[in-house]
Amino acid sequence: MTTQATTRFTNQLHTMKTQNQKGFIPFTLLGWPNADISFEIIKTMIDSGATGLELGIAFSDPLADGPVLQAAAVETLATGFDVDQAFILLQKVRAYNQDIPIGLMVYFNMILARGVDQFFKDAADAGVDGILIVDLPPEGAEEVTAAAKTSGIDLIFIVSPLTTDERLQTILKHANGYLYVVSRLGITGTDNTHDTQLQDLLTRIKAQTDLPLYVGFGVSTPEDAQKMIAAGADGVITGSRIIQLVQDQPNSSPQQVLETYLQSMCNLSE
Amino acid sequence: MQTLGFFGQYGGIYVCEPLMPALEELEEAFLKFSKDPDFLTEFQHLLTHYAGRPTPLYYAKNLSALWGAQIYLKREDLLHGGAHKTNNAVGQALLAKKMGKTRLIAETGAGQHGVATAMAGALMGLKTEVYMGEVDMARQEPNVFRMKLLGAQVHGVTSGSKTLKAAINEALRDWLANVRDTHYVLGTAAGPHPFPTLVKFFHQVIGTESREQILAQLGKLPDYVLACVGGGSNAIGMFSGFVDDTAVKLIGVEPGGEGLNTNKHGAVLAKGTVGVLHGMKSLAIQDKDGQVSDTHSISAGLDYPLVGPEHAYLRDIGRVQYDSATDTECLEAFHALSKAEGILPALESAHALAHTKKLAAQVSEDTTLLVSLSGRGDKDLHQVMSVTN
Ligand SMILES: Cc1ncc(COP(=O)(O)O)c(C=O)c1O
Repeated sequence: MTTQATTRFTNQLHTMKTQNQKGFIPFTLLGWPNADISFEIIKTMIDSGATGLELGIAFSDPLADGPVLQAAAVETLATGFDVDQAFILLQKVRAYNQDIPIGLMVYFNMILARGVDQFFKDAADAGVDGILIVDLPPEGAEEVTAAAKTSGIDLIFIVSPLTTDERLQTILKHANGYLYVVSRLGITGTDNTHDTQLQDLLTRIKAQTDLPLYVGFGVSTPEDAQKMIAAGADGVITGSRIIQLVQDQPNSSPQQVLETYLQSMCNLSE
Repeated sequence: MQTLGFFGQYGGIYVCEPLMPALEELEEAFLKFSKDPDFLTEFQHLLTHYAGRPTPLYYAKNLSALWGAQIYLKREDLLHGGAHKTNNAVGQALLAKKMGKTRLIAETGAGQHGVATAMAGALMGLKTEVYMGEVDMARQEPNVFRMKLLGAQVHGVTSGSKTLKAAINEALRDWLANVRDTHYVLGTAAGPHPFPTLVKFFHQVIGTESREQILAQLGKLPDYVLACVGGGSNAIGMFSGFVDDTAVKLIGVEPGGEGLNTNKHGAVLAKGTVGVLHGMKSLAIQDKDGQVSDTHSISAGLDYPLVGPEHAYLRDIGRVQYDSATDTECLEAFHALSKAEGILPALESAHALAHTKKLAAQVSEDTTLLVSLSGRGDKDLHQVMSVTN
């Protein structure tokens, strides 16, 4: 849409990186457990000082997700919350805050079903800055690069402990905004056994790019986050834990449940 | 990757980044070993002496008289394990062993692929774990016992429809976590490249043998070749032997469930639209947002909302025609073959037979129909008896 949107991730995360400030990107599923509470959750994230947002759209077959996010996707879809409503909710989030970088995390089939150009246009119109397509490796990136460019949306890519330097080069040809580094193999969830090669990996990536490195998968606590930062991360991404916290206290507002936790994750330092 | 494995617009690789190195490694190993004389000799040896190839091509005289055409059955039901799945499982397990993997995982619907992988794992000393939807565990219980007795661990899958799609989801999640030491023995000619190509490679023997056998028995090629299509592995193996014989008509038979006018079927080539799941771009039964639907079929092995990418391509170019048979037609065919020939077919294979009956009624009596009898029906006894009373 606008060039401003293009640069929200790039500008803000990059600036933080050069100032050696560490970032926190919380994740939740749009529409979970319903549109109103979902908005409250996201609002609490913004108000608690999140660096950016990573928001998912519920999919019938979330192959990279663990039990917590799988169950949340099932619940969301059962309420009838669809992709149109996800875009409406995104617009509401963008109206609430003009500055925060918003990333979408989606499975490719949802983009294909809407039509690649239409999906990216709708995302840009809703104020989305970056899209991470979980099951589109860089080999297939050309299916979306034109749409991403036209709509001014950054393509966010995953790097794993198994990604070779050669693959990293291919990824870096298409990657913008930041790199989503997975801390370990496996699926999303709170299991915090991190890969022994993570530190190596972060060092290897830094040798090849200036993009900020955000580590996700199994980062649930400030202690996990500090470990990632000590290993060389520029920031962390947390998802399952946030959903779990809300689940565990169904009678409290998201703000009551999440504020202290989110603030502790936002106050990361070297 | 050397190629992305597209068949027209279908195929490719659509997986999360951590799986890419494993697919690169697999493609490299496949390209190397599929041309390696020692590997091929070893594979051939196992097919012959362990699995019992060649399987017979049987002229079903009684059924031919009953239905009014010349019906030949490719007896994959007589292969060790009771279905064609053994070709692929043994091939992939051998490949996994060469790649230094120590653990096999598999998904299974009917249980036949799980059994085949459990056999291959036992044979080659590889730890084997199989994911199976709980609905399928109930309706294919004998195969659950077989897998366990063969030393495999069976994980019941409780998500979604609790059938094949959910089992593949769980197997892929396992692979994401354990990709360093584990090979995922995908059970059909679907999934990310190189699986569709590799699975077809190991099943080509069905088509090659059938072609030689019918030429030897009849002195000519068949008029039609039929096979059931779940993900499409027995069909692609069979069709590969005849795809260049343009006079031979190829027909794939999908599960019509309770009818294509209901939403309880699995006729992906008839009703699907282009989509991406399980690592491939293909046809999928899905809604406007790309949420992939649950399907229905009496046969667990065909109960799947996607199809192997090469079938989508063969449909588009008009080389293969895809029809469907309903649950009821499948059961009728099951009984017909059992009573006429003394052969209990798998419910999957009975779909191909059901369409054979319909076709036989339309063609002249001397028309030759070659049918892939992909598996035997022992696994289905419980289910068939429960609906037969
Ligand atoms: C006997 C038999 N035939 C056919 C199938 C369907 O698979 P495919 O379409 O890959 O041949 C199965 C799957 O379980 C099977 O067990």
